[in-house]
Amino acid sequence: MEADRSNREGLMGWLNPGRYGWERVSYWLQRLTGVGLLAYFIGHVFETSSLTQGPDAWAAMLELTQTPLGHTILLLVIGMSTYHSANGIRLIFAHGGKGLGKPGRPDYPYDAVSLNYRQKSGIWIALILAAVAMLYGASVLFGGE
Amino acid sequence: MMLRESQIMKIHYITGIAALFVVAVHIMMRLIMPYSLSLEYENVIANYHNVPYLVLLESILVLIAIHGFNGLRIILLELRQSKAWEDGITILTIAAMMAVVAYGTRTIIIANGFGLGFE
Repeated sequence: MEADRSNREGLMGWLNPGRYGWERVSYWLQRLTGVGLLAYFIGHVFETSSLTQGPDAWAAMLELTQTPLGHTILLLVIGMSTYHSANGIRLIFAHGGKGLGKPGRPDYPYDAVSLNYRQKSGIWIALILAAVAMLYGASVLFGGE
Repeated sequence: MMLRESQIMKIHYITGIAALFVVAVHIMMRLIMPYSLSLEYENVIANYHNVPYLVLLESILVLIAIHGFNGLRIILLELRQSKAWEDGITILTIAAMMAVVAYGTRTIIIANGFGLGFE
């Protein structure tokens, strides 16, 4: 029998933030930052391997990465890693059932108890921490030391 | 050995939290002296001759590789579900994870001087 493919939205379903509010934004930010950090991690492992070719290769790699563009990418990585960590800790608690509230009678307008102020403030805290970490990172990277 | 998804998720959480601590130490090593000075070749090589720091680097490599590639596997499994796709993605991500760990470990071993005799 032919499989029903009509419910397969693929990436568009994954990225659509319209239907689910802040939790959906948090969902795809967690995934986008995760993929971004994995790409950086692979790049960093490759970048660091230039050490094995001696001081000249290391200096050449630094010339490529220690530039305003390189520092801007590093700032993004700082922001992504802080958000991913803080929001990841929120998710661990949520998956463990902590901070979700108690189930209640579904009254109009049917707000889900699980999507409460604790969860929403957790998302905001993750975003604020990421901004603070990026500010500190900018002071170190562009501070002129 | 087949792991259940619930067990894999626990591994995902544990590697994520553990990575947070070891990466924090790794970043602090860049900040105990002026940032640009910490990246000088001699200073970086000196880091690689410090055995506790080597253990830290290897654990960062393994923890983030497991966490990162399992995260990628989860994302790809959310996009599409079929036996062939799920098996293929699992094999691909495990192979990529092992390749990155092997390449990073090679750097750690050579930079430490086991391979090139830096000291």
